[in-house]
Amino acid sequence: MKIVIEDLEVWYSSIPALRDISLEVSEGEMTFVIGPNGAGKSTLLKTIAYIVKPKAGAIYIDGKFISRFSPRDLGKIVAYVDPQISKTIPSTVLEFLLTARYPHQATLGFSIQRHDLEIVEKISRQMNIAHLLNRRLDELSSGELQRVLIARALAQKPGVLLLDEPSAFLDLRYRLEILDYVKTSTEMNKITCIVAIHDLYLASLYADKIIMMNNGEIVAAGRPEEVLKKELLEKVYRVKIHLLNINGKNIVIPLEPIERIGL
Amino acid sequence: MALPLYERRVKHFFASLIILVTLLLFTFTLSLSIGSAMLDPVKVFKAIFLKPFGYSAEDNIDVIAMLRLSRALASLFCGASLALAGLLMQTITRNPLADPYIFGLSSTALTAVALGIILIPNLMVYKVYMIIVSFLGALAGYILTLSLSKLGGGSSLAMVLAGIAIASLFSGVSHILLYIVQQIVKTPYVYLLMGSVSTVLQRDLLFLALPTLLFAALIPALFKPLNAYLYGDEYAKQLGFNPTLVRDSAAFIAALLTAITIAFVGIVGFIGLAAPHIARFLVGSDHRFAAPIVALVGALLTLLADIVVKLVSLFAGAVGELPLGVVTAVIGAPFLAYLIVKKVRE
Repeated sequence: MKIVIEDLEVWYSSIPALRDISLEVSEGEMTFVIGPNGAGKSTLLKTIAYIVKPKAGAIYIDGKFISRFSPRDLGKIVAYVDPQISKTIPSTVLEFLLTARYPHQATLGFSIQRHDLEIVEKISRQMNIAHLLNRRLDELSSGELQRVLIARALAQKPGVLLLDEPSAFLDLRYRLEILDYVKTSTEMNKITCIVAIHDLYLASLYADKIIMMNNGEIVAAGRPEEVLKKELLEKVYRVKIHLLNINGKNIVIPLEPIERIGL
Repeated sequence: MALPLYERRVKHFFASLIILVTLLLFTFTLSLSIGSAMLDPVKVFKAIFLKPFGYSAEDNIDVIAMLRLSRALASLFCGASLALAGLLMQTITRNPLADPYIFGLSSTALTAVALGIILIPNLMVYKVYMIIVSFLGALAGYILTLSLSKLGGGSSLAMVLAGIAIASLFSGVSHILLYIVQQIVKTPYVYLLMGSVSTVLQRDLLFLALPTLLFAALIPALFKPLNAYLYGDEYAKQLGFNPTLVRDSAAFIAALLTAITIAFVGIVGFIGLAAPHIARFLVGSDHRFAAPIVALVGALLTLLADIVVKLVSLFAGAVGELPLGVVTAVIGAPFLAYLIVKKVRE
């Protein structure tokens, strides 16, 4: 599904969060959104998921204006991986994963189709969380919970997959395995995947396109080698950077902060 | 893994359902048998449940049992209502310590009753008017809490805080009014506060049963939205549910269920808090399973508590009866304590 965003503007009460955002994302591609804290990465993802309503501008999914979709249809198409979910009322991983299939089911229906359980089954095997299905969400480690959250989004079988910090809390192996899996899945199922991430190394490995944001605006957008440039990164992140070229990919090595925090 | 796990969950649900219904039938019969004239539970069971099949009871057992029927049915319906309301409240506030009285409904109902007695002392003679007045009071409390929470942004936190504010204000006001009421009715006002099912009359029972069944029948429409709502407002939103709508409609149903029980039996604590925990312990947090189970658990706990009330008043023989709420706390609390200890150990 192709996403087109035109002149998007988002405010949180009186604070501007996004300004003049225009971009295009095509299907079957991994687009990584990078930028420092507070740059507006999560807000951009939440606006595309229509959780946050824009003040001005337009978002089109496959040419259709986003507010023309019913909430239910949007739930079938768009999956946003929220890094924070409420766990105060105890519930199991399986109960959580089954909610992912709700947009595809009748709200009043009581029974759960075998088909839905099979989807959850398959994805929980692939994400290596099958052994956790009967555990309570509040008993999981951060890394296990992260995998459960991503598995939930995949179980929704979305056309647009929005991942907010998917590498957080994951060890080396799962970072690579999960992003690798998401990339394969994106290409095979023609998903439009947008990932907000802090890890520039992972961005350089898996991104087809990179969007760099700062202070609610897009600073640069394009192929990884066009965006991951020394001067640009140093200006946006305020960190001294060294670029390594490995296998034709620009790998970012942060060296030291430009301004030191004095004691 | 997912398929056998889910099938096991469904089996647990049906097993719990059958066991609870059996226990409920047993307790219900027991409740009809206990009173100043002790009856044989087997004969009572036959007299009540085999009556449509042409069974005729001996020694006027059916007459005595029918006299006690309204009390048992009142416990059953109020227990189920309070438990369902408790489950809804815990879900919409995402707070495992929430109970049906969190909106301050009990204190506004009490204020309304006290105000009614002061203005029109004859009101106490007619049970129906008392029921209507306290129902209106509870409803007013819900509207006040809802408006206050909307002013505060409408989040679940705003709802809880608004409930606390309304409850504190009106519990103060009602106590002042009840102090004045003592002058009029010449009884200590503590008795007006505490719940009892002994005063429910058979002719009023329909007003308790019908609305309870009606509102309980609305809850299945909310099963899936509530399941999604458990994990956060934004989570529910992206699955296509409107969290504000889910919260408001569940709060509305819970408030009406609670208002009805306050009107009929007064304030019975603990059922609404403990029953949801017991239900989740048995069948998990999925509302499709938890809601039917919680209603049965609530009904069972309240019936048991009322049996204890009857036994104590028979054998300890003091003036009047123990308040039902006191007994529900004594029965419910140790069980909850057991669950907490068991879960923390895990």
